[in-house]
Amino acid sequence: MIQPAVEIHDLTVAYREKPVLWDIDAVIPEGSLSAIVGPNGAGKSTLLSAILGTIQPASGWLKIFDKPIEDSDEIIGFVPQRESVDWDFPVEVLDVVMMGTYQRLGWFRRPGKAQHDWAMECLDAVGMADLYRRQIGELSGGQQQRVFIARALAQDARIFLMDEPFAGVDAATEDAIRRVLEDLKKRGRTVILVHHDLHTIEHFFDHVLLLNLRLVASGPTDEIFTRENLLRTYGGRLTLLDEAAEAVRRIRTGTGGGGS
Amino acid sequence: MIAPNTIVILVGITALGICCGLVGALMLLRRRALLSDALAHATLPGVCIAFLLSGSRSTLTLGFGALVSALIGAVLVSRLPRFTRVRRDSATACILGIMFGAGIALSGIIQRSGPGAAAAGLDGLLLGRTAGMLRSEAMVLVCAAIVMSLLIFVLRKELLLSCFDPLFGRCSGQATGALDLLQTSLLAATVVLALPAVGVVLTAALVVIPPAAARFWTDRFDPLLRISAFIGASSGITGTIVSSSYPDLPAGPVIVLAATGFFTFSLLAAPKRGMIARKLRWSSRKRQREVRRILHTLLVACEGDQYSLSADQILAGSVSASPRALNRAIREGFVAKEAERLQLTPVGKKRALRARKSQQIWREWLTSEAAIDRDLIDLDEEEIEKLLPAELVRSLERSIDLREAIR
Repeated sequence: MIQPAVEIHDLTVAYREKPVLWDIDAVIPEGSLSAIVGPNGAGKSTLLSAILGTIQPASGWLKIFDKPIEDSDEIIGFVPQRESVDWDFPVEVLDVVMMGTYQRLGWFRRPGKAQHDWAMECLDAVGMADLYRRQIGELSGGQQQRVFIARALAQDARIFLMDEPFAGVDAATEDAIRRVLEDLKKRGRTVILVHHDLHTIEHFFDHVLLLNLRLVASGPTDEIFTRENLLRTYGGRLTLLDEAAEAVRRIRTGTGGGGS
Repeated sequence: MIAPNTIVILVGITALGICCGLVGALMLLRRRALLSDALAHATLPGVCIAFLLSGSRSTLTLGFGALVSALIGAVLVSRLPRFTRVRRDSATACILGIMFGAGIALSGIIQRSGPGAAAAGLDGLLLGRTAGMLRSEAMVLVCAAIVMSLLIFVLRKELLLSCFDPLFGRCSGQATGALDLLQTSLLAATVVLALPAVGVVLTAALVVIPPAAARFWTDRFDPLLRISAFIGASSGITGTIVSSSYPDLPAGPVIVLAATGFFTFSLLAAPKRGMIARKLRWSSRKRQREVRRILHTLLVACEGDQYSLSADQILAGSVSASPRALNRAIREGFVAKEAERLQLTPVGKKRALRARKSQQIWREWLTSEAAIDRDLIDLDEEEIEKLLPAELVRSLERSIDLREAIR
């Protein structure tokens, strides 16, 4: 059997006595591309925070590469939600990407040429090398997202967590992120991402966690990603979602047909 | 001509300006500017208690009391929102009011119980007494400025990350708590050092204004710190010199006014973010748009059977272009004017065609691409190739050609 990258056991997380994650048991195999799926407020981002170790669980434990998270000094590549920072901050693209190298540098040491070149390489991987001197506020939303991806790549971790990297990005950015994910998978890295677009799950991810406060199901996509499980995750809301998605598809194909 | 005492004051105030500028820039970036005001006001009860307990008026004793009480204020401001439902801005305002109120009450007690001379020393803390700065105090300020600059230089990457994205910092193993504590302590120390010079009420201004002014001049981290320190020092020097040349003009307020002068100048005159530059950019784009509209009208007329149009047809009626834009089009050689008749020059025609083309591509892109990144849209940008990938532009051009062929 493949070694688990992340092992979650009996995990409960609560904010002020109100549980946001309840009794989660899951295993994420090494080298997998996993999606955390669930409705708004299902605790998806909280689960990421728990794996990152930035929140204290109320009970249960987590292991990363077979080490309890408290003792683990594993570097975790992290892409936060784009809205989590102030994009008017006076800093340039390359400086942000270099932040990914800080952890390996440790206190006091300044990044040098090696870190500079490595950060440029990571920027190139998301197609942003030309813009390395831009102030981050001058970038488009998709480009900002790619800067965050490049920063995570610069961490050069074995495991990556991404919080909705595909949210609200343009087509070029979507392609760039896909390429990065495929490349990471090829190199045997584990990637876990919070994902919204149910349509792309089946083609792209080999592992899913269906989450709604409790874990509805988790495992290989072809076994777990069923209509029944989705209904249990989204409750009655999926039908509405289904309809909306169907309507959008109709509109898109409609204009596509008329345009050419 | 300059008295030795003035030199001492100038050196001390320069160092103080540097401290305030540096720590203020960090606070600005962490969006914690108001904290400086709260901490300045929170020093007052500490000073009073220190005086009541020791009976001494030495700077060291009172300063120690001020520092302890500022740190208590800082801890309260950061803990209140975490353990109660009070939000951070309310917590800051609460602590400011409560501690200052306590301080004023205590100083009232001191005034009534002791001789008037004792209270006078505390009075100076409210508005500051720059002119009374001692050589030893100036030395302390210089040391503080050196230590602070070194610390910021050595911890540059840690500070940058903790200001920009503390969450990512925590995830990548940064000791966020220690860095927070360090920055708050730097602020508390700066506030206490500034008290004798500018006083409780105005200290915050000296911490908040220089970085706010510096932000107009740069979009980068290190220059922001440097410019902020520079503006802090310059305000101090300017204010001290101005106040020393007039009798009865207290230095503290004049220093703050000087800082305000720097801020106003930056607000207006900074090259990229300043108001004048913004206004100029805006009106230049507007005029360009007008010129393009004139060229387009003439092009359409030209493609019909009208070789030229009268000036009235451009300036009035449905086009009603601005005369200034028309003059500009003529000046730039796009339009020729002969006896009140306007016509496109060859250059103008080329220009008009290019503008039309880019507009078509934009329109095609907006209607055909399903996922639009709004920030990329810039309908004024003629060189669309700069913004969109070349491949995409080519495919957009193909689909425009196709549509025209069908028509």
